[in-house]
Amino acid sequence: MSTQSLAAQSGHIEVRDLNISFKARGETVQAVKSVSLNVQPGEFVSLIGPSGCGKSTLMNAVAGFTKSNSGVLTLDGKRIDGPGSDRGVVFQQYSLFPWMTVRKNVEFGLKMKNISPAQRETQARTLLGLAGLLAFEHHYPSQLSGGMKQRVGIVRALATSPQVLLMDEPFGALDSQTRSVMQEILTNMWQRLRLSVLFITHDIEEAIFLSDRIYVMTARPGRIKAEIKVPLPRPRTPDMMDTPEFATMIRSIKKLIREESLAAMGSELSDGGYGGLSMEIGPEGVAHVL
Amino acid sequence: MAPPAAAAPSHSVSRSPVRQPKLEAIQGGAAAGAVNAAPFSLKSWLESGIGTALLGTLSISLVLLSWYLATRYKLDFYVRFGNIPTPMDVWHSILEVNRSTKFLVNIGISVRRVLLGFFGAAVVGVVLGIMIGRYRIFRAMTMPAMELFRPIPAIAWVPMAIMLWPSNEISIVFITFLGAFFPILINTIHGVEEIDDVLFRAAHSLGAKEKDVILYVVIPGALQHIFTGLAVGMGVAWVSLIAAEMISGQFGIGYFTWEAYSLISYPDIALGMITIGVLGLLCSKAINISSKLAMPWMGVAAGARK
Repeated sequence: MSTQSLAAQSGHIEVRDLNISFKARGETVQAVKSVSLNVQPGEFVSLIGPSGCGKSTLMNAVAGFTKSNSGVLTLDGKRIDGPGSDRGVVFQQYSLFPWMTVRKNVEFGLKMKNISPAQRETQARTLLGLAGLLAFEHHYPSQLSGGMKQRVGIVRALATSPQVLLMDEPFGALDSQTRSVMQEILTNMWQRLRLSVLFITHDIEEAIFLSDRIYVMTARPGRIKAEIKVPLPRPRTPDMMDTPEFATMIRSIKKLIREESLAAMGSELSDGGYGGLSMEIGPEGVAHVL
Repeated sequence: MAPPAAAAPSHSVSRSPVRQPKLEAIQGGAAAGAVNAAPFSLKSWLESGIGTALLGTLSISLVLLSWYLATRYKLDFYVRFGNIPTPMDVWHSILEVNRSTKFLVNIGISVRRVLLGFFGAAVVGVVLGIMIGRYRIFRAMTMPAMELFRPIPAIAWVPMAIMLWPSNEISIVFITFLGAFFPILINTIHGVEEIDDVLFRAAHSLGAKEKDVILYVVIPGALQHIFTGLAVGMGVAWVSLIAAEMISGQFGIGYFTWEAYSLISYPDIALGMITIGVLGLLCSKAINISSKLAMPWMGVAAGARK
């Protein structure tokens, strides 16, 4: 894991004036509109917004799955123009290969790097051990619970020692108990690895608990409505969620999101004319709420 | 974790003797029996090996018995059993044909034709299916032509095949190939299309190149459907083979069966049919077993073990 702490200097994501649109049923839909954001090396950043606001599209662009129309998208100064193992991705849906055992799933990225089978095994077993999954190394994904599958998914994404971890609502499909356990596991893992994380969620508490900074996105076309610094100390513990500070932060973000959700629904009701209701949006670009 | 886990069993053990009689009183004898799994449960008996074997034997015996009765008493109610051989006639004919190697040679020839046609179809069908399923350009180029030929049953190719190929043998293999080809092709295409898109994205984000994606995502991902195609294809291969052998053949088990009809040796017709059935069964079993070996991840989910 020593390579990870050295890599804390890299993993800088820079997004500037990014526009992404795609064609749906013959119409051009603008999913992301002039978005600028950054993730500093070793920083945990969340992207939060109403559903359909283009946050997943934005993440797909950072992952290299989606092409952007204009704007700058770089990782450590290098233009992103396709997926690669320098950016580990954890998906919302379970994305383990059903035909590979847990260990083979974790080894996959290493195999793609032509690392020898013996070394692959050692590395995979070390990571699985850290995640408490070593007993399941020979299990197939279908034999695991949802939480375990996502843990394997995270371990698999970390196996290639990426500079950045991109997580697209990774706990969205889990029940609330499993979810909070997973949040704890993730914050502990991050504390140890200190790699940059871009975390997409619509769960406000989750975003606050995990992040150093939170970007709030507007309804479609997705823009950055606010940037919020989370002043909670590290390492994070679940009892921080009971503090009045935490409650205040939830309230203020909830208000921001509510406006946007209303705007989004209004735009649907008035058949795409979101002009009226989204007027609440503050100054263009970044607003510091706290 | 240890204390509650240890406490749970003792808890339930101490409780069950008190509760059970009440349950029985409420639910009645049969339901209580199922709950206790004690005296007799039809479901668990059926699931046991002995139950299955016993019922299987019974089912086959019933067929043999009805066959015997119908032919012994020459049943005639629109369906006429007058000329149908009895099970004993067929048994004698089994002993008869085994005096020479002719019968075995016929079987060998049919099996060789089926295997050649089937494996040819498997290779071409799976490779083409993966290409069509994976690459849109390839699909647009090949599928219209495929759709043109697909509705033509393999047997309809018999006259054309005889003209096309230099020998009778190759034309029969060709017809068998055609029969197996389309089910394998269509199922492979379907299997590739069914693969969840997130798996491709996962593979790419882990550094996989196209070759790796084909090898580690497309092929294993489509394998279940490929095996469905192989099973169906094997069935159609036999259908096509037997028809081709009956129409144009020399040798082969289909030819043997048709020849028996021409020579009025009725027991041999039944023998031919039974042989074809057994061979088909063996082939489908072979595919079944290889599918289990090839896909160890199938049916391992908790409670899904078969």
